[in-house]
Formats: sequence, structure tokens, C-alpha cells
Amino acid sequence: MTGAKDRMREKKMKNQPRNVIYTSSGRGTGRGQGSQACGWVRGHQHGGHSYSQDLPKYITASSFAKARAAEVNAMLKAVSKPAGSCHIFTALPKHMRRRALSHSTKRLPSRLREGAQRLAERSQRAPEKEKKQEPRSRSRRARRRHGNLLLEFNRRQRKNKWLETHIWHAKRFHMLKTWSYCLPLKPTAKSFRASYRAMNTHALLQVTLAYMCFMFVIFSEKSVTYLHLLYKADQFPEGSLGPADFLWRPRVPDASDRQLWIWIHPALKQDVLSELQLVCQCFEAVSVSEESRPAVELPAGRKRKRDEADAEQPSKRLLGDGTRPAGAPVRWQSPDTAITISDLTMEIVRYRLIGPLAHVVLTDTLQPASEEPRSRSTDEAGVSVHQQQTDIFHLLRGVCSTAELPAGCVLGLTVDDPRLTLPQKRGKSVPDLQQSAEDSGVRDLTLKGVAAHCSQSALWDASARDCVTHNRLSEQELNRRRTELLVPGSRLSAAPQAAVPLLLVHQGGRVRGEERLHWGSGWDLLLPKGWGMAFWVPLVYRGVRVGGLHMSVKHSQFMGQPHFPHDYPDCPAGVRFQSEQEAELLQKFKRRPPSKRTNYIKHGCLAPFRCPWQQLTEEWEELVNLSAETTGGCRTGPFTVLRSLKALRRLSAWSRPSSRRSSSALTHATAAALQQECGPSLVWVRLRLLGKGQPALHAMVCVPTTSDLQLLLKDAHSSGPEEPRHKDHLKRLRQNTTGPEDPARAVRGVCPAPLPSVLPHCSRLTLGWVTQGDFSLAAGCGEALAFISVSGLLHTILQQPQEQRGLILLRNPSSLQYRFARISIDV
Amino acid sequence: MVRFKSRYLLCEVCVPDRSSLQLLEDRTIYNTLRAAVNRAHGDYGSALFNIGVIVKYLNAHTGVVLIRSRKKHYRLIWSALSFITCLENRGQKVQCFLNCLHVGGTIRTCQKFLVKYNRQQLHRMLPACKTDAEKQEVRRAILSCSLSNVREEEADEDGSDDDGDEET
Repeated sequence: MTGAKDRMREKKMKNQPRNVIYTSSGRGTGRGQGSQACGWVRGHQHGGHSYSQDLPKYITASSFAKARAAEVNAMLKAVSKPAGSCHIFTALPKHMRRRALSHSTKRLPSRLREGAQRLAERSQRAPEKEKKQEPRSRSRRARRRHGNLLLEFNRRQRKNKWLETHIWHAKRFHMLKTWSYCLPLKPTAKSFRASYRAMNTHALLQVTLAYMCFMFVIFSEKSVTYLHLLYKADQFPEGSLGPADFLWRPRVPDASDRQLWIWIHPALKQDVLSELQLVCQCFEAVSVSEESRPAVELPAGRKRKRDEADAEQPSKRLLGDGTRPAGAPVRWQSPDTAITISDLTMEIVRYRLIGPLAHVVLTDTLQPASEEPRSRSTDEAGVSVHQQQTDIFHLLRGVCSTAELPAGCVLGLTVDDPRLTLPQKRGKSVPDLQQSAEDSGVRDLTLKGVAAHCSQSALWDASARDCVTHNRLSEQELNRRRTELLVPGSRLSAAPQAAVPLLLVHQGGRVRGEERLHWGSGWDLLLPKGWGMAFWVPLVYRGVRVGGLHMSVKHSQFMGQPHFPHDYPDCPAGVRFQSEQEAELLQKFKRRPPSKRTNYIKHGCLAPFRCPWQQLTEEWEELVNLSAETTGGCRTGPFTVLRSLKALRRLSAWSRPSSRRSSSALTHATAAALQQECGPSLVWVRLRLLGKGQPALHAMVCVPTTSDLQLLLKDAHSSGPEEPRHKDHLKRLRQNTTGPEDPARAVRGVCPAPLPSVLPHCSRLTLGWVTQGDFSLAAGCGEALAFISVSGLLHTILQQPQEQRGLILLRNPSSLQYRFARISIDV
Repeated sequence: MVRFKSRYLLCEVCVPDRSSLQLLEDRTIYNTLRAAVNRAHGDYGSALFNIGVIVKYLNAHTGVVLIRSRKKHYRLIWSALSFITCLENRGQKVQCFLNCLHVGGTIRTCQKFLVKYNRQQLHRMLPACKTDAEKQEVRRAILSCSLSNVREEEADEDGSDDDGDEET
């Protein structure tokens, strides 16, 4: 019962007497009707006879009489005062009162009607006033009126934050709600191949969804080295948290602080912030925002770029600071080390353009500011920085492909509002090949990259950002100015205060491995808050294709890089992601009718939804130790992912077929040495199928037997061995128990929870599982990215003949056919 | 529109020894009554009891009990009342019998009857008093529940909208 109902009832029943009983603690009120019968209480107290602890042995007539009298009084009170009545009801004579009067006032004569209505309203409102503070929600129509839409949107954003371009995406994309953001997943139109072509030849645009949370660290000169040490990682190699992007602010003269921006994935935020806080000892929250002072000058341009280049590679170790529950930036300061950390989620908008013609799109869309907003520092030659940046920007057009520029260079720029030069129709930007006349300048650019001081931008200043966000022209204003133009269609004049500071960061493409180097390079565009849509629409009008989360996963896959939550099984965020994915896949599986599901037990697939990495590594350790009979104890810690370059290079060399290099030749001893060094770990490999086959998610990577390899030798196009069908032992159980079985216990077709030994379950030993597998449009055959146990890999390679090293078998969870594939570890 | 009609049985618990009334509770009455109905009318009776029977009011000082039941089945409940010989409360058995004073259609009619009945009882008690002090008490009690008193109370209540416990 709600409180209102109770209150109404009490109001009605306040005259009714309650149960009168004896209790040992004095006055007893039983479960009766209504609140106090006051006369009753007082009567007895005045009678002077207190019914306290001991019950009286004799009840005399006087007390009995008193009791009777009191009861009479109570009854009279109850009778004479009708419940919940107002004078309306008593004003009517008895023969005109009707039962329906209490709820419909129309049955009253008109002279009494208004009074009754007023009373009814008052009695309705009285208990409600204290209950409902919020206004009653308006009708749907009122809520959807244009002016009120903002309220509606804010209400909807409470649970999952919206990006700036949310509405644009929502009309064209399927959205996904994860990590407390509402992100575009994939376009509603079928565009997988088109997006791939765009990434390959033209340009693809994405809101960089992976790196949205954003830390900002200022610290003074003396603690620079301190912070560098931290990045060497506390608990290497076990305590990995996830990848991050670092961006250092270029040093500017007459400043003593440096600033660092750290971009991390939103799933990491919680872990990261607490770590960073712990490490930098920044616990005091400072609510007053301070002016950020620019950093000390750096003499050589080279160092800056190297910093960038190092920093731009996603570092696998991140000491994170936890994140706050979003919203306004908050700074933490540490008293002794003078480091300040502030959380600037959603303060900067970041767009990623991928593809060889990304720079052309940028040069089309952006126009450097015609007048300089504030004269910034000039360098020795007296040429202002802005002019230099503009020159470099113009040089960009002459570059043939984005991949030509060295990775990690940063260009700061101040541009005009791109909406001013919005084309009337959508078109496709094409490269301008005439500008290769300025050969020397272009060549300089491609070889050396951008000079250090040209990477400055006002974007680093919080005050400048706020100012620019504030001065943004609204769409309405812009349209009004367009109508006022004398010649329709000409360029609008720019407002000087609205020159937007930007950062253009170059992202290198594929850097590891030997094929298709620099594929997938692009530019990142960093903008201040509020300018998201203003830049998005002009970019789209230049003919880029827009991709979502799905496309970014594919992008990482084609580049051969691990994509953050999917391919990091050792980070806590990765583990969380895996359990979520498992739940999702299991749900999907359960939705299908039982006879139409793949019976994974019969296919011998133990882990179609979730890969038990820990179990795999432990079992391999056991197996290897058993076979080698070494007394060196197998390390059974939590598994890690092998990331040290040295070890990876060696493994990569060993898994190739014929290497005549004598250095680090593969022998049992060297293999054992490497294994000891690494401990129970997994390695990230790329598998390419030799012939037919399309790997699926969680396909099994298995060790081929010698007979399999001979089969391949005999016939290079053989399709590979087949797995005999397993028996479904649960089926018999199901048939025996005819009653309704506990659904949580066993899902038909999936192995129940405590998995049996993973390795020897199928006819070939399991090495690992595929995390991303697909037909690769770039390679023209099936490719998969998988994690493999290091000990297993070494064990396998040792047993294979020289020419056929690195061959393994791959089997999809819903098939019995093994396919041959070749391992390559990209370094 | 069909109403649910109920009947209210106004009963009095008669005990030889007044003092043993003290441990009376509505749950006691309810359980005893249920057992009695079960004994007298079997499963059918217990099912009917379950639906509509509830003890609405209980006064342990005077032994007045108001039981509500459905109109269709009140005779059944009424008949089982006479089979109650003892009330049991926390291990103490009290010999008693339930005397039904009045059957009313609403609580208000039962309350009105109770007023009349109590007044009658008080009037009857007066000549039966032995000591003078007792007589005084009884007279005072009678006076206190006279109509004039009540009307004064009413006027006060309507005017000041207060609890109105100045006069008792």
C-alpha cells in the first residue's frame, strides 16, 4: 500500500476506536481501525488507574463501570462523526444522501457542488503535496515540442552519454549502448565492402570511439623523470591494464610546466584513474580550475617527435587513474610532486580519418584562419607560428598518400569555421596532383615530419577552449547570415573570434609484419567541445564514408593490431568484456529452438562462447613439463600475454618455415630457456589459411600430427583431416530425467560449466582460440587473429620438420573439418 | 453495482472471573473461533471462515468483541460461537462463553447498539453496588457518558478542529 492510501484511510478512520487490550507494557493498540481514540486514553489516565506492569487481580465494579463508560464515549464519537465527511454531507438531509456522493460530485444539488469539488480537490491534494515534488509529466505532444526537446534529450542521456554527433548517427546507424556511452555500431545500409574500399583507396571517417576518456596531467619540470619511470610499469608483465595514447604538449618558452594528455578506452576508466592517483599521490581534489601554463622550451625538434612517436604507439602498460562519474572536470593535486591530474572526458572531440586520401579531405574541409586571432609566440625568423602552420598545411596537399608521412607527427592549426565553406552538394574530394611542383617542401615534410613548434595549438589551454566553445555561431545564426548575403552561395565572412584551434595527429597504419605496411594510416582531428557537428557535416560532404564500432574492429583486424577490449584477455577490462560477450552469445544461442542449435558437444567444442585461457596455459605447462621431465616447477600464476619485443622476434623467426640463420636456432634448450623466461603466457598470432575456409569467432587452433603434415606434402590442396563426431553424454541424462530439468544447469548443446581437460578433448591438441576471424578482403583468403599458448607453440614447432614449420590446423566450432593454416607473428 | 454485504456480530465474552479476561487478544478469539467452526462444520466451514471472517474490535476490559463475516455465512459462524468453551492464550486456558448481543449490518449500527447496551448495564449496576464509593464512581461514569457531554464535545471539535479531549 502506498503512503497516500494509508493516509487517506487514517483520515477517514480517525474517529473509530481501536482495540483495547492489556499488554504488559501499558497501553496497547491492536490492529484496529484508525488512529487515536483520544477520549479513551485520557479517560483512563484521569481515572488514576494505570495499567502498568502487573495486571490487577481484582477488577472492581468501579473500574468496570469506567471501562464501560469510556467505551460508550468512544462509540459515540465514532458514530456521531461520519468518516471523511465535510459539512457538505451533513448539510444534505438524510433522505437525499446517496452512496455515490463521495466519489462523484455531480449527484449533489448545484448549490453544494462547488464546495464539494473544492473539498474533494483539497483532500486529494493534501497528501500528494508532500509526496510529489516533481511536476506531473506533460503530455507526449508537449514534451516533443521543439523547445522542450533538449530536456527530453538530457533525460535520456542520464544513463548512457551521447556523443556530439549522436543525432546524426542515430538516423543512419544501429546504435549500441556500452561502457555508459551510446555508440554507433554499424550503418543501417549494407556497406561492409564499400567501407573497406574507402579504407583502402579513399577515406573513412569515424568518431574515435576507442579513445574517449581523457586525462590531463600537468607537472613541473623536476618531476618529468619521475613520471617516465612510472610508465615502465609496476608489475610487468602481469599488471597490464590496457592500451593508451599519450600526447605531450610541445614545450613553449617561458613556461615551467608540461602537460600530457592520456587517451584511454572508456572501459578502462575505473581502473586507470585509481592507479594513477595512487602512483602520483594525487588525492586532493581541487575544484577551482587553474590556468594551465605552457611548458618549457625544447631545443631540438627531433626529441619532440620522438616523444610523440614513442608515445603515439599504444602503450600496453597503463597505470590508470580511476574515473569519476563523468561530468565536470575535476582536478587532483598532489602536494609534494606538483602533479595535477584532471579528468577531461568529452572536453575534446576526436575524429579519425582513415585512408590514403584522408589528408586531401582535410585540406578541402579546413581553411586556416585568415587573420590571426591572438599573436602567439614567434620563432627566431620572426615568422609567426600560425603562418608556418599554414604553410605546412598547404604542403599537405602535395603529398600523394597519407601513409607517406612519418607516423606520429602532430600539426597544430587554427582554422575558420568549416560551415562557412560548406559546398552546396556532396562531392568526393580528389587529390590535387599539380602541387607536386613544390617538390622540396613536400619531400621535407614526408621525410622529417612536422617541426616541433608547429605542433602548438591553443587547444591545450582550457580557457581558450572555453572561449571558442562559447563563441560558436549557432546554426540558426549562420542560416540567417546566409539569407542576408547579397550574392547567394558566396562565402560567408568569418568572425575573428571564432577561429577554432585544432590538433591534427597523424596515425601510422600497420607497422608490424611485412605485408601491406602503412595500410590504414590516417589523421586524427582534435577539436574543442561543442564544435563536433560543425566539423562533422562538412567532412561528410566531402565524400568520406562513415564507419562505426564494427568498422574500427575490422580496421584493427586488417592492420593486425589487437583491438582494445576484444583482444586483451589479461586486462581486467578485457576479462569483463569477455564475460559480457559470453553472456550475449549464450543468450543468442538460447533463443534458437533447441533442435536448430548447433550441438557443440557433438562437435567437440568445449568453449564456443568463452575461452578458458587460464586452463589452457596451465594444461600446456603441465604437458610440457611432463614431456621434458624437467624439475623446474611449472609456473602456475595468472596467465599473461607475451609482449616483449625480443621474445616476439625470436618466436617469429622460429615459426617461419626455413630459416638458415644460425643465430638463435631452435633447439630444445633455447626453447626451454624462452619458455622459462616467459612463464605461462599467450602470444598474439596471425593465421592465414592455405586454402579454403573462413575462420569464425572462437575457432580452435590445433596441433597437426605428422600424418597430417605428410598429407599436405602429398597434396598441396588437400582440405585437411576431419574430426570424428563426439558423443553427447548429456543426451542420455536428458532422456532419463523426463521431468522439467533445471534450466540453469545445462543448456542443451553446450558443455556444462566445470570444463573437462581442454587439451586432449579433440583428436588434435588445442593450442588456442581465435578472437577475430574473417575472410580478409585485403589478403584474399581467410585470416584469423588468435591467442596461442607459448609453450604449446614451442612444443609444436620443435616437432615439425624445417620446411613445414609454422603450420597448424584450424577448426570452426560448428564444423568438424580441420583446415591448414600458417602462423605468423608480426613484429 | 453489486455490494459486498457483511454482518457484524457483537459478542460479549462472559467469564466467571473477571480478572482472567486480561490476556485477551484478537488473535486468540480468531483462532478459537476458527477451531470451533472447523469442529462444527468441517472443511466447508473452515473454508468459509477463511474468506470473510475477521475480528474488527476487541475491548479486553469489558469483553466486547465485534466479528465481521459475510452475509451469506454469518449464521454458520454464529452457530459455532456456542461451541466455544474456553479461550486459550499463551498456555493459559480461560473458561468462558461467547454471548452474542447483536447482529448488525454495519459497524455503525453495532456501535450504536453498544452505546445503548452499555448505558443499560451502567444503570443496572447502580443499585447493585455495595459500597458508597463504588456508587459514586458508577454515578460519575454514567454522567460522563451522557448525551450532553457528548454534544459539548462535538461542538468543540467542529469549532477548533482539535482533538477535543478537554472534557472527559
